[in-house]
Amino acid sequence: MTVAADVLRPNNAGDAAEMLRASSESRRRVRVRGAGTKDYLGDLLPTDAVIETTAMRGIVAHVPADLTITVAAGTPFAEMRDALARAGQFVPLDPPHGDRATIGGIVAANSTGFWRARYGGVRDLLIGTTTALTDGTVAHAGGRVVKNVSGYDLDKLLVGSLGTLGVITECTFKVLPLPSATEGFEATFGRGQDAFAAADTIARTPARPAALVVDSGGRGSWRLLVLARGDPAAVRRTIAIAGEAAHANGGSRAKDTDVDSALAPLRELPATANGVLVRASLPIAAQSAFADIAARLAGFRHLVADAASAIVRVEIDSDEESDIAAADELLAGARVCGGSARVERRPPELRERVAAWGDGDEPGLFLMRRIKDEFDPNGILEPGRGIVR
Amino acid sequence: MLGTHEDLINYEYDGAVDTATPDAVVLPTDTADVAKLARFCHEHGVPIVPRGAGTGLSGGAIPVEGGVVVSFARMARILEIDVANRRAVVQPGLINLHLSTAAAPHGLYFVPDPSSQKACTLGGNVAENSGGPHTLAYGVTTNHVTGLEIVLSDGTIVRLGGKAEDVEGYDLIGTFVGSEGTLGLVTEITVKLTPLPEDKRTILAAFPTMDQASTTVSEIIANGIVPAAIELMDNLATQAVEAAVGAGYPLDAGGILLLEVDGLRDGLDEAAERIERICREQGATTLRRARTALERDKLWAGRKGAFAAMGRLAPAYYVQDGVIPRTRLPDVLRTVEAVSKRHGVRIANVFHAGDGNLHPLVLFSDLSELPRVHEAGLEILTACVEAGGSLTGEHGVGMEKNCYMPLQFGADDLAAMRRVKHAFDPQGLANPGKIFPTPGRCREFQLHATR
Repeated sequence: MTVAADVLRPNNAGDAAEMLRASSESRRRVRVRGAGTKDYLGDLLPTDAVIETTAMRGIVAHVPADLTITVAAGTPFAEMRDALARAGQFVPLDPPHGDRATIGGIVAANSTGFWRARYGGVRDLLIGTTTALTDGTVAHAGGRVVKNVSGYDLDKLLVGSLGTLGVITECTFKVLPLPSATEGFEATFGRGQDAFAAADTIARTPARPAALVVDSGGRGSWRLLVLARGDPAAVRRTIAIAGEAAHANGGSRAKDTDVDSALAPLRELPATANGVLVRASLPIAAQSAFADIAARLAGFRHLVADAASAIVRVEIDSDEESDIAAADELLAGARVCGGSARVERRPPELRERVAAWGDGDEPGLFLMRRIKDEFDPNGILEPGRGIVR
Repeated sequence: MLGTHEDLINYEYDGAVDTATPDAVVLPTDTADVAKLARFCHEHGVPIVPRGAGTGLSGGAIPVEGGVVVSFARMARILEIDVANRRAVVQPGLINLHLSTAAAPHGLYFVPDPSSQKACTLGGNVAENSGGPHTLAYGVTTNHVTGLEIVLSDGTIVRLGGKAEDVEGYDLIGTFVGSEGTLGLVTEITVKLTPLPEDKRTILAAFPTMDQASTTVSEIIANGIVPAAIELMDNLATQAVEAAVGAGYPLDAGGILLLEVDGLRDGLDEAAERIERICREQGATTLRRARTALERDKLWAGRKGAFAAMGRLAPAYYVQDGVIPRTRLPDVLRTVEAVSKRHGVRIANVFHAGDGNLHPLVLFSDLSELPRVHEAGLEILTACVEAGGSLTGEHGVGMEKNCYMPLQFGADDLAAMRRVKHAFDPQGLANPGKIFPTPGRCREFQLHATR
């Protein structure tokens, strides 16, 4: 990367589409960027230009009683969060980089935190998009209503597409009233399987905690963190259920812990990991065995599991050779369990040697390739970023 | 395989009003059958149209361009109830309610509960991205599917996802759910099972006018309460339901709300009381809370039996499915009433008010009235789109509203969708004539629209 790429900042979807059309015609490769918080995802090959969405900023529409909000894609998530909070509402997402990340980047990277346990992820909350495409057109999908089966659900296709299909310029989300009560619970366990068993006991009840997290920093110590949000009576009961589940599985309750604060650094693991960070999506019951394997790896640093959604992150940090071997083992292990995994982050010196997408033979990859070719026939968008290359 | 005229005419209709006779009907017993059939159709350029129970309300299972209808009646098994992973693996012909019944002993259920859930199939639910009264709080079909096995129109079998929440790469499952059979055929489905709520509170609130009932919906939400369900029924629908089901709805009400909160038992009474207080403030004349499970089932029987009860009012109905932002309910409902008067057609309303998902049922007696009925439906849909809404919330576009798609989407929007269609089904053999406007059938509408 010797020549700095041109940075383009479109003011609206039409601008962005025109930039894409011109780039596509001249075969100039384009990176799509919001605040640039997640450059660690995928492979970052050099491009001729960068389209930065930050000039497209602001809340486009918000009628509180409709429980929806439409925002320009370059809007910082924090700006939307604060505006909604003033109306007593929120979009129930708690992504990493929440203070800087843009809405468009959160959607394009399918960036979710722990609240997914109760509220669903980006794909469940996004109900409308506007996207600039490489042929110079602007496509709308979904809408501003909470239920909508009119036409294909292109919103879903864009979630996690990492800028490889187009530039998202506007998003509409479902909104909820802010819960009136929040309470946390924390317990420690000597064995991972007990922490996961306690988490599963809670998840099998109708309690629906906002976050259900198991983590370990090694040395045979495992933590269960439960966050309950909602009406006060239901929140109290959820904490009681968590207490019973922890007790029944041999956990000891930690006193006076601020679970919200305890969760914050765990949520930011993709932003802060020094070593290799593997992100696995597993069948729920496979988490315990997967965690057991992870904790035995040389260089094991940290495991953080959204135990309700079975999204497990493992940080490994030893010498290069054992980190590479560990990443391979975790990727293969996830697949053996009936799930999948990717290398979410690795140090710059390992980027060449550790592939983000493993061997990349995901089922349906040929369909993904056809979709990529349909939307970006000249292959100008985000080369190397996604699973389709 | 069925091929005689007598057999084929049984497959020329579904729950909507359009009809077309298939050239053949095939009932496969496994995925290999489906793949073989698709390959045959692909070689001979024959359209292939999947069909579940035929309860669809947009003509999705109608072979409008001829070809083979694939009935999944013989692929109706539950393959696995995986309690530890809270998933079920099922065949597409399985009836929706049978899944929740089978999961209930484990304290689990499948959330989407369309009113036709005693008959409709999971494959159909996936095709249409079906909803139901309880999707307000818990989401529609697409929020509950984690794995699919699909057969493309060229016979390729593709397995997507599984029991885990996420897959790497593009969300092909999210793209496929709701594609109405136009991207391929579903042969196996993995769905989430959700813990049954510990308890529920079901409230009936009757109001003198529809205006008051629909304003109450926004008031409840503005007060920070998101119930599991908010259903609304007008007087005409109430008359029919009472005659057919006898659910105990007050016959003198202008509008009736059916509300439910569920979850942990704790706090449910407080939530119910808050809802009842708001209803009272908005002028509710009757408030009734179900005291037993039997009473609750009776209240729901009225709602779930409402479409079937329309037979008490007229021999046939044409149901629309437009969605609007919740705050626009009162004025769009007034438009519906004006449309009814202008065209001299009776329209009953029974719908998912919490989602802003209307179901105006345009009643008619014989097919000669269809043009007038369609005209009324189109005016209502136009009003929905103009209010910032959508043509369809859960019934699908099918062949019923494909000509209306330009009301909601521009040419560039539709072109983007066609790219997806082309990626999955380049030859255009998977359920052709649906979703996208077709030059032949839609010419009349285009002329009409430009008049």
